[in-house]
Amino acid sequence: MSTFVIGLSIAMLLFLLSAGLTLIFGMLGIINFAHGAVYMLGAYVAYQVAATTHNFWLALCVTPLVLAVVGAIIERLVLRPIYDRPHEFQLLATFGLILVLEEAVRMIWGLQLRSIATPPGLSGSVHVFGTDISKYRLFVVVFGAAMVALLFFGIERTRLGLILRASSNNAGMAEMLGVEVGRVRTAIFALGTALAGIGGAIAGPMLPIQLQMGFSVILDCFIVIIIGGLGNIRGAVAGALLIGMTRAYGQQYAAEWIDIATYGVLVVTLLVRPQGLFGIRLRTA
Amino acid sequence: MRQVKHSEVLTVGVLVLLFAAAPFVTGDEGWLYLAALIMTWSIFALGYDISFGLTGLLSFGHAAFFGMGAYAASWAMLSAGLPFSVGIVAAIGAGGLSALVFGFVGRRVSGLYFSLMTLMLAELISIVMTTRLRHLSGGVDGLPGVPRPQAFGIDFFNAANFYWVIFALFCLTLAFCAVLKSSPLGQALRGVRQNAVRSEQVGFNVGALRLTALTLSGCLSGLAGALLASLMMYVSPQLLGWKMSGDVVIMTLLGGSGTPVGPVIGVTLVELLREGLSATTEHWYGLLGVIFILCTIYLPEGVAGLGRKLWRR
Repeated sequence: MSTFVIGLSIAMLLFLLSAGLTLIFGMLGIINFAHGAVYMLGAYVAYQVAATTHNFWLALCVTPLVLAVVGAIIERLVLRPIYDRPHEFQLLATFGLILVLEEAVRMIWGLQLRSIATPPGLSGSVHVFGTDISKYRLFVVVFGAAMVALLFFGIERTRLGLILRASSNNAGMAEMLGVEVGRVRTAIFALGTALAGIGGAIAGPMLPIQLQMGFSVILDCFIVIIIGGLGNIRGAVAGALLIGMTRAYGQQYAAEWIDIATYGVLVVTLLVRPQGLFGIRLRTA
Repeated sequence: MRQVKHSEVLTVGVLVLLFAAAPFVTGDEGWLYLAALIMTWSIFALGYDISFGLTGLLSFGHAAFFGMGAYAASWAMLSAGLPFSVGIVAAIGAGGLSALVFGFVGRRVSGLYFSLMTLMLAELISIVMTTRLRHLSGGVDGLPGVPRPQAFGIDFFNAANFYWVIFALFCLTLAFCAVLKSSPLGQALRGVRQNAVRSEQVGFNVGALRLTALTLSGCLSGLAGALLASLMMYVSPQLLGWKMSGDVVIMTLLGGSGTPVGPVIGVTLVELLREGLSATTEHWYGLLGVIFILCTIYLPEGVAGLGRKLWRR
């Protein structure tokens, strides 16, 4: 049971990141290589806020705002000039961003491991069904589930979501109908980085904060979105659950094979269904 | 046959002469080592460019071919005690074979999917080599004492003598790339890059062409890996890491992919930057990132492309 909750909490973290990735891809047609670096930056920002104010909840609120601003700046400066280039160049530009963001974090916070104290009230564990479950992990699961619901509602049921979907489906037509596509793109990218920031903040008390944290998690996210189908949020939920559970149960029963198993899932998916298990491709990559 | 431009022949010639002149200009071991390093990485970048510049396959997994080449050569020479030449052949084979596997797994995906797939397959190999195959790879510590060639009573542990070995292979690689690019195969690969669907319709087997390009690219990458291992006399799983793939992508793009000298210029620039900036600032890698982003936005054809524009003017 506790493994199950751990798996769910990993899945929620992966979902927050993959949702941002897949949103950005679906709407902007760009694979944001630097998403892991943004997540890492989020964790450091959350650490800084939590360390100075001693308040985790404040950190959880401030981090996405800071990261949204960073995302908007990145979109304006780096991505806006290259939307009409081949996909490869967009991938390359975001790859350059990784180097810049990592260096910035190294300059500000150094190489030391950091961590965020578990917020009071969520430390310790609860006793359910004969096992101990960390309260914080339970919080992550509930919080993540709430974010999933919020995202789905926002995208599929609100006017704002309608504009987003319209701009992604046919940017030219949306523009003709009075949507400022440029602003929508900035907003989407900012939303994606804010989600990554939230991910970094909630990962803070669970995982050590370090420079390498972004890269290891971004590979898992790529697996999630490939399994789920690029640009498909429903697929991202399923993919995140699959990889989260593989990680948690693998850690429990066959720790040495876990990475190999995770990548194995990916290779099989690519060989059998390269468009993803849930992929309905609207845009071609 | 594509007509060979005089400017290209000229730049390649100047470049080769520069590298050939280096040992006569300076006897300093440090500079010779740097020049040898640049040529080794140039072989890697030229190999990479067969995949990206010529065929349009953006791979983020070339570190796997490079690293496997380095390990194959090291195993052949260290464990089996085979001569250097066999080690080099083993490296070329290992690089090509890993590329063939990558190409086979990714034969149904293209574009961004291909980039992500290569990145993750390379990471899988890196993880397997670092953790599961620790007894073969030496784990995080790597394997020290990768030998250099022994032949004709020449001492190749002397920097200048080994320099000529790398120089010869560098020239061979340049020649190989030039021949490949102007051959009918090169022409077909260029067609695949420009319009895969049309190439398929005209009757080319696009899948096989992509696989061929990736394999050739992997062969050269493996060769470069073996040379680097022999140059540093050391091999470690770091050679398999994603930073290696990233470095070769940056170098190739910065110099200008798809041109005969672009990759070499890119390697030279990055290595000189590393040499010059790492002395004054420890944050040179971030600076490289900024330069790289600016280059992808404003100089998509790299430094070589800029040179070409100025030449025409």
